Amino acid sequence: MPLADADLVARVLLDDDHHAFAELVRNHQSSVRGLLRQLVRTDVTLADDLAQETFVRAYKNLRSFRGEARFSTWLYRIAYNCFREEARKRKELVGIDEAQLESEHDPQTTDPALRHDLAQALQALPLHERSAVVLCCQNGLSHDEAARVLDIPLGTVKTNVLRGREKLKRALAAWGPN
Amino acid sequence: MAENLQEDWLDARLRDEAPYIDDAGFTTRVVRKLPARPVRNWLRAMILLGLTISASAIAYFVSGGGWFIAEGVTRFALLPLPVIWLCAAGATILVMAGGLLAAISKASSRSR
Repeated sequence: MPLADADLVARVLLDDDHHAFAELVRNHQSSVRGLLRQLVRTDVTLADDLAQETFVRAYKNLRSFRGEARFSTWLYRIAYNCFREEARKRKELVGIDEAQLESEHDPQTTDPALRHDLAQALQALPLHERSAVVLCCQNGLSHDEAARVLDIPLGTVKTNVLRGREKLKRALAAWGPN
Repeated sequence: MAENLQEDWLDARLRDEAPYIDDAGFTTRVVRKLPARPVRNWLRAMILLGLTISASAIAYFVSGGGWFIAEGVTRFALLPLPVIWLCAAGATILVMAGGLLAAISKASSRSR
């Protein structure tokens, strides 16, 4: 039976158990890497480097995780901080390695043209709206959790999600249900 | 009604856009980058103590019962007083410098 995040965290803290931490990484790598890929809008390698940095920082600062929020929310917060630091260094992170992203999608699930349009529409959103939409609509965080991750007021998150979704709906109007 | 349908459709598409990313060695790379596990303090103390006792025992037997220590002490006691004072001051400075270096390295590793 797989151990819960809290048990794995306790093992790392008590015994400095690298295997337990590896289990935590395995459980959360997909969502953290996915989030960073959406935020970075540049090559996938950079997003993965940031994800790696996120987990190393999480390991070093694990004692500061008090279990008040979900472990994934705490990780997203670190990931978002890593992204912000990188963005500050590079000023602007633009462009996306679409070929690599395409190759990792299941071709059966969605029409490739729709996927392309959705990716374009997401990338066209300003960073604050994209971050809120990705966290709440893709990663399933509540507005409250997203506010903690992004370190902004709850009302601002709600507004950003609403505006982001409106823009996405407009951009994808041709694809919507009739 | 149409508005709700549109909302549901958009949510579903957004979730589809976040597929599972295969690990493909990512976890291994992260674990390799983790800082090495520090040797526990009590273990370090036991190792140091063991090494010191072993080294002392070897030195004692190899030197034929430690006669050179007694001879060294006698010779040192016969040195002029200013030289003894100089040696004592030198030893004190060395020990203080060692302590200072250890404190600085510990403080800098904590602030990192």
